[in-house]
Amino acid sequence: MSVGKEELFKELSDAVVNMDEDETVLLSTKVIVDGYDAYEAIDKGLADGMDRAGKLFEEEEYFIPELLMCSDAMYAGLDVLKPHIKLDSEGERYRVVIGVVEGDTHDIGKNLVKIMLESAGFEVFDLGRDIPPIRFVEKAKEVNAKIIALSTLMTTTMDGMEEVINILNQHNIRDQYKVMVGGGPISQRFADKIGADGYSVNAAEAVRLARKLVGGAA
Amino acid sequence: MSIISPKERILRVLNKEKVDRPPVICPGGMMNAAIVDVMKSTGHTLPEAHHDDKLMAELAKDIFKYTGFENFGIPFCMTVEAEVLGSEINFGTLACEPKIEKEVFDSVSDVVYQDIGKILKKGRIESVIQAGYLLSKRNKDVPVVGNLTGPLSTSASIVNPISFLKELRKDRENAHRVINYVTDFLIEYAKLMIDNGVDLISIGDPTATGEILGPKMFEEYALRYLNKLIDGIHSFKVPVIVHICGNINTVKRFIPYIKSDAISTDAIINLRILKDEFPSLTTMGNLSTFLLQFGNPEKVADQTERLLRDGIDIISPACGLSTSSSIHNIRALTTTVKEHSSYGRSNILPAKQIH
Repeated sequence: MSVGKEELFKELSDAVVNMDEDETVLLSTKVIVDGYDAYEAIDKGLADGMDRAGKLFEEEEYFIPELLMCSDAMYAGLDVLKPHIKLDSEGERYRVVIGVVEGDTHDIGKNLVKIMLESAGFEVFDLGRDIPPIRFVEKAKEVNAKIIALSTLMTTTMDGMEEVINILNQHNIRDQYKVMVGGGPISQRFADKIGADGYSVNAAEAVRLARKLVGGAA
Repeated sequence: MSIISPKERILRVLNKEKVDRPPVICPGGMMNAAIVDVMKSTGHTLPEAHHDDKLMAELAKDIFKYTGFENFGIPFCMTVEAEVLGSEINFGTLACEPKIEKEVFDSVSDVVYQDIGKILKKGRIESVIQAGYLLSKRNKDVPVVGNLTGPLSTSASIVNPISFLKELRKDRENAHRVINYVTDFLIEYAKLMIDNGVDLISIGDPTATGEILGPKMFEEYALRYLNKLIDGIHSFKVPVIVHICGNINTVKRFIPYIKSDAISTDAIINLRILKDEFPSLTTMGNLSTFLLQFGNPEKVADQTERLLRDGIDIISPACGLSTSSSIHNIRALTTTVKEHSSYGRSNILPAKQIH
């Protein structure tokens, strides 16, 4: 009776898009019961659903209430799947400081990246949202992080990302950290312009980028 | 030719009668002109004037005198309503407007419905009403605008706004109940203002935008309760202005169904095109507040000329002004409008002779 894996992930993604919290929880539980990989279910199910909801928002098909309900469904699914993620525990655990730059309180994207990074074996220090540039640098120093990951959804706050890099330069510690950026208005071009080490378009991509930045394996 | 007073002018415009030139106003409330420049020169300052009726009236008079806007507008914030309905308010500072510190309810299903007569005796309602009385009693020629925070924004200021927005879909029954209760309260609050001399009501409802709600929920909630509120105010024989924030494209088809006597929009909207599309609308707006803050008087005058050329019925800032806007920029706006009639004639006459 077990449906195929891809089909299940697709249903999970649909449940998020359809704002159906109960269905998302049910399907997430099914992922575990059927023995599928929780990480993959988050990537291809929950995160995919949230991506699609974001597109519907851009197309003015969904609005804020719909988007909030999709994210509720996504978080409900995460609660089920997260404890079942197999941690990549071999080797050194690289540290990442992550947060949403000052002036922005949207953190769905950042939260997804955080969870995916954690499941990929990184140790993540989450500063939260609306964070002044200097705090990223202070925290990275304090915990001896390898990566600083900056997120924003708003064009008005993009300058804060550049400011983080400026601070690193001013303190002559730019080469000690890798800076990665992401979020709605961010592009590879913007990342290049401000001198970031990398840009990723979504959470799964962010994990691949983080692995690359710390030297491949991780 | 008789000179008409600012009060007559705006009331005539709102009644779709002809006037010599458009009025230039800044209604108050969400869109108030209590800028730091004015307060520093008079000493009638916020946050104190949010509370004291005499100070509130004095500050409204200062704004009238220094900026050239042709109205008094009270209060200077959007929190009077939420405060009496139980939310915790941070009254801000001289340069920073009050905001909701914490909404009193977590969900629309938690709302405790109080007796409206009792609510009207609470908080700063008495100060606003007294200020309206003081202003209207002593200045017969200047319109006093009473400002209301609209039904959805007030509801989202007493219920956690994130839950509120979700519950517009998830718990429609209680959502309607809360917004209806808030609307009933707003009608009674408006009545008190009107009984004490306020000449017109301006409603700002920044939560009730197409960008946030989308067309379905705009129709189900925003349009319905805005119209209920407007009908209520109209029953007291007083005109109403509604300001719609942000981009209205997704909800444009509903705009002619808003029963207010004028529609004010944000700078992103081309009011001339909106007028072309819906000729029955009385339009108000929409000089960029960005320009008022960062531009210079020449640019402000240029843009004001454009609004005049476009035939906008009431000239005003497009949205809430920054408290650091420059008095020179604001004066460029108001002076340009006031000089319009003579300017307009001298320009039109030669053109007619050529033909």
